[in-house]
Amino acid sequence: AGVLAAHKITASSPDTDLPTVSGLRKMGVNFTVSNKDTVKSSDVLFLAVKPPIIPFILEEVGPDIEARHIVVSCAAGVTISSIEKKLCTFCPTPKVIRCMTNTPVIVREGATVYATGTHADVEDGKLLEQLMASVGFCTEVEEDLIDAVTGLSGSGPAYAFTALDALADGGVKMGLPRRLAVRLGAQALLGAAKMLLESEQHPGQLKDNVCSPGGATIHALHFLESGGFRSLLINAVEASCIRTRELQHLADQEKISPAAIKKTLLDKVKLESPSLSVASASKVSLFTNKSKKN
Amino acid sequence: SLSRGQELGCRTTHCNLEVVQRSTLVFLATKPHVLPGVLEEIRPAVGTHHIVVSLVAGVTIQTLQRLLPPWTKVLRIMPNLPCVVQAGAMVFSRGSSAGDKESALLQNLLSSCGLCEEVPESYINIHTGLSGSGVAYVYLFAEALAEGAVKMGMPGALAGRIAAQTLLGAAKMLLETGEHPAKLRGDVCTPGGTTIYALHQLEKGALRATVMSAVEAATNRACDMAKH
Repeated sequence: AGVLAAHKITASSPDTDLPTVSGLRKMGVNFTVSNKDTVKSSDVLFLAVKPPIIPFILEEVGPDIEARHIVVSCAAGVTISSIEKKLCTFCPTPKVIRCMTNTPVIVREGATVYATGTHADVEDGKLLEQLMASVGFCTEVEEDLIDAVTGLSGSGPAYAFTALDALADGGVKMGLPRRLAVRLGAQALLGAAKMLLESEQHPGQLKDNVCSPGGATIHALHFLESGGFRSLLINAVEASCIRTRELQHLADQEKISPAAIKKTLLDKVKLESPSLSVASASKVSLFTNKSKKN
Repeated sequence: SLSRGQELGCRTTHCNLEVVQRSTLVFLATKPHVLPGVLEEIRPAVGTHHIVVSLVAGVTIQTLQRLLPPWTKVLRIMPNLPCVVQAGAMVFSRGSSAGDKESALLQNLLSSCGLCEEVPESYINIHTGLSGSGVAYVYLFAEALAEGAVKMGMPGALAGRIAAQTLLGAAKMLLETGEHPAKLRGDVCTPGGTTIYALHQLEKGALRATVMSAVEAATNRACDMAKH
C-alpha cells in the first residue's frame, strides 16, 4: 500500500506451498521458514496465526524478543494480558498491541482497531495506525471493545456478502442476468456506504431521502421491516461478539494439545481446531499486502 | 353538544337553515349518511358569501360540490381527537371555488386547535390512517408501556401518568428540535445501555412493520368507506 518498501518486510511460514507465500515473494518481500530469523531482522512483528497457535509461537520466539520489538497480534479473542504474560518470562517490558481488522484490507478498504498494551508507547500505537491506515480506516480503542468490533466490522463483510448474494437473486428473479445483478448490487452497497461516510446525515435521514411517497422503495422497506431485518442484523452482531468472547475463554484455557501444534502445518490445525472463524481464516491472505512478520 | 355550546356562550338552534342564514362560515359536522339530507335542506339558503367547511368523514369535495350550488366555496377538513385539547392535527383541501382567502381564514381559525395544514385531497385518507386513527395507536402503546411497568412492580395509576408524560415529552422534543427521529433515538442510546437492549426487543417484534401496516390498513379502509 505504499507505506513500506517490500524489501523491509520479512514473512515466515513453515509451509512453503501456500499461495500467499508465492504472492509475497513476487512482491519482493523477504521470505524465510524460520520464525526466529524473522524476529531478529524485524522491529514490528505481526503474529498472523490462528488463535490457538499464538501461545506456541510466543514460546518459540519469546527468547529473541527484545525491548525494541513491537508485537502485534490480530488473533481473535487473544487478550493483551495473555500475550504479555507469556512474553514477560523472556523480556521484562514487552510492547504488545492487539488489533482487529477485516478482509477488505485486501482492497485497501479495511476497518481496523487496535488497543495498546502496558508497555507500548503512544508512538508505537501511532506507527501501527500509520501502517494500517494505508489499507483503510484505523483507530485506537479500549481493549474491551474489540469483541464488539469483531461482531460488527470483523464479521461485517460476511453479512454484506450474504446480502449481496440475496440482492442478486432478487435481481435475477426479476429478469436480470446474474453478473449484472451482482455488479449492480455491489455498486449499490458501495455507493450507499460512501454516501453515509461522506455525509453528516443520519442513515435514517438518508433512507428517507430515497423513499418517495407511495413509491417503490418504501414498499420494499416495509417488507424488510416485516421480516425483522433490523433485529436480524442486531442479533448477528451480538452473536459474533459473544462467540468471540467464548473463543477468548477457550484460548485462555489453551485447549489445543501440543502434539497437534507440533505438526506445524496450518491445514492440519484447520481440521482439528473447532474454534476457527471466517475472520481468522482470512488472516493468512491478510498480510499479502504489507505484513512484516508471520 | 347543544348545551355545551350554550355553556360557551354560543347561540344554539334546532334549525339548520337558521344557522346558514345567520353565518358566513358554516361547518358541516354530521354523520356521513345524514349529510345528503342536510345539504338538500340548506341548499336554498346558500349564497356566494358563504364558506362551507365539511368535517364529514369519507364525503369527497366532488360530492359536496354536486349537492350544493355550483359556485359555492367548499373546503373539506379532517381533524383528529386532540383538537379538543388544542393539540390536534388537521388537514384540509379546497374545492374549485375556494381561494387563498378562504384557505387562509380556515388556517388562521383552526391553528388555535393545533397543527393545521392544507393538502391535496388525496392525502386526507392517509391523514385518517396516520393521525385520525393514529391517536388510538398511541393509546395502545401507552397502555402497553404502563403494563410493562406494572409487571416490573410499579402501581398502575402512576405508570399510566408517566407513560403519557413520556409520549408527550418525546413528541415535544421531536416537534421543537426538528431533528430526525432516528437521530433522537440514537441520542438516547448509550452503548450497551438499557435503551438499546429494549429497542432490540422492539425490533425483534417487528414493531415498525406492524405500525406501517396499521397506517396502511386504516388508510385503505377510509378509501373503501368513502366509496360507499
